Amino acid sequence: MNQTPPTNPAIEHLDPNHLGPGQLNAFIDGELSSAEQHGIEQHLTICHACALRVLSATKLKAAIARAGQRFTPSPEALARLTAQLHAQSQSQQQPEPQKTARIYSIRPASTRPAAWAAIAAAILLAVSLLTWRQLHQTNTLATELLDQHLATLSTAATPQVISTDRHTVKPWFQGRLPFSFNLPDAAALPPDTTLKGADLTYLNGQPAALLLFTIHKHEVSVFLTQRSTSPTLTALPNTRAGFTLHTATTPDLRIIAVSDVNPSDLNNLVASLVQAQKPN
Amino acid sequence: MFHAEPLPVFLVASPRPYDPAALTLRPTEALRIMPSAINRSAAFEQLALPLFASLYNHAHWLTRNPSEAEDLVQETFTRALRAFDSFKPETNFKAWIFRILRNSFLTTRSGIAASRTVFLEDQPDTLDTTASGPTPEDILLRLDNQAALQTALEQLQSPLREALLLCDVEEIKYKDIALILDVPIGTVMSRISRARRALRQLLQPHLGKSL
Repeated sequence: MNQTPPTNPAIEHLDPNHLGPGQLNAFIDGELSSAEQHGIEQHLTICHACALRVLSATKLKAAIARAGQRFTPSPEALARLTAQLHAQSQSQQQPEPQKTARIYSIRPASTRPAAWAAIAAAILLAVSLLTWRQLHQTNTLATELLDQHLATLSTAATPQVISTDRHTVKPWFQGRLPFSFNLPDAAALPPDTTLKGADLTYLNGQPAALLLFTIHKHEVSVFLTQRSTSPTLTALPNTRAGFTLHTATTPDLRIIAVSDVNPSDLNNLVASLVQAQKPN
Repeated sequence: MFHAEPLPVFLVASPRPYDPAALTLRPTEALRIMPSAINRSAAFEQLALPLFASLYNHAHWLTRNPSEAEDLVQETFTRALRAFDSFKPETNFKAWIFRILRNSFLTTRSGIAASRTVFLEDQPDTLDTTASGPTPEDILLRLDNQAALQTALEQLQSPLREALLLCDVEEIKYKDIALILDVPIGTVMSRISRARRALRQLLQPHLGKSL
């Protein structure tokens, strides 16, 4: 019954079971009820013409999704936007008593230092971005990593979650990251290495977990990203302006550590994180 | 940004088939927020930060300019944070903030210029997309040509492109696109359908080049 070629404009009028353009779009966009969806699936098993049209429409939809995801913010733009959002939400949270240029400054001023600290952190981030960008044009990812690490060194930078307990830090990322990871327990960490807390951050526009450790009082930033979405690191240098960058990968994750601690201690920490990702 | 209060809990609903009864309660991200003013900003950041890249991409498509896109996202955050009290937690945050993005765009210079262009809404959508166009096989071959597809997307009329990007790139449901664009759901369906048909026609001349 369904031998009408797909090029026939009157296709719907010959057989009411054939998909109309609206129905076809609603089907591939997942907008139909399960009963309607099921009815169409049944029809597709016996109608070659409609099956071809659905296939073609699905391919077009997927290609549009790829082509439409075209513009990614530069790391500088991302840093500016993040800093702006932090500054704004902090000042809205508990702004200063006197009227400032911000129209929403109407609440008590118990965190005035925090607001200034946020601005200072933003300036530090911007200045460090500019400085590093001028000095090292070549490797934007290394720059981004270092900038984010420098931003965590600011006294104003309080981690979003503060905890030395892996059972607090790991669950905090649930629903915030499109992937998961394991953290070694305190005993499995190298000597004099402590987990301080964690932040949700972005590297190259991709969500990343930023874990903050200390090794002998040196601050360490460890970035965890998904391997499938993060770009390949072809030329990430081992050192940058006196900081050590150490990279490791597991089947799912890319781990990048940044610190001014000596390289062997940093390697030990990264190794313990890699070890924690292995199934027991 | 650490707070002693319990962190907000986010419930992410898995996609499920359309159910008319659940029309108003089918958010892509439903959430429960502790109704405390201190948590408010934190909750906003938690919801808004993951949407940076999407908002910027869409802003760039609207403004066609990187610095205008960044300004537009900034303006969107400022407005959204100010209006966050009016956000209903059981509704879709992504749709809510995209609506603010679009309204902010309409007040910019390029937005005002774009709104002056007359768009003819109700063109009949009776023709089958495959009727006079290329066969599905041809389309399958040409879709590998990313550059041709991007050029075709650029050539689409903005109202058609906007609806199509919200549907295919942002994966927003028709009813939420209708809220964002402030048009009836039927208009959303017809714009998406027209956009896809126009794209197929625009891709046609590239056949020779990409094969």
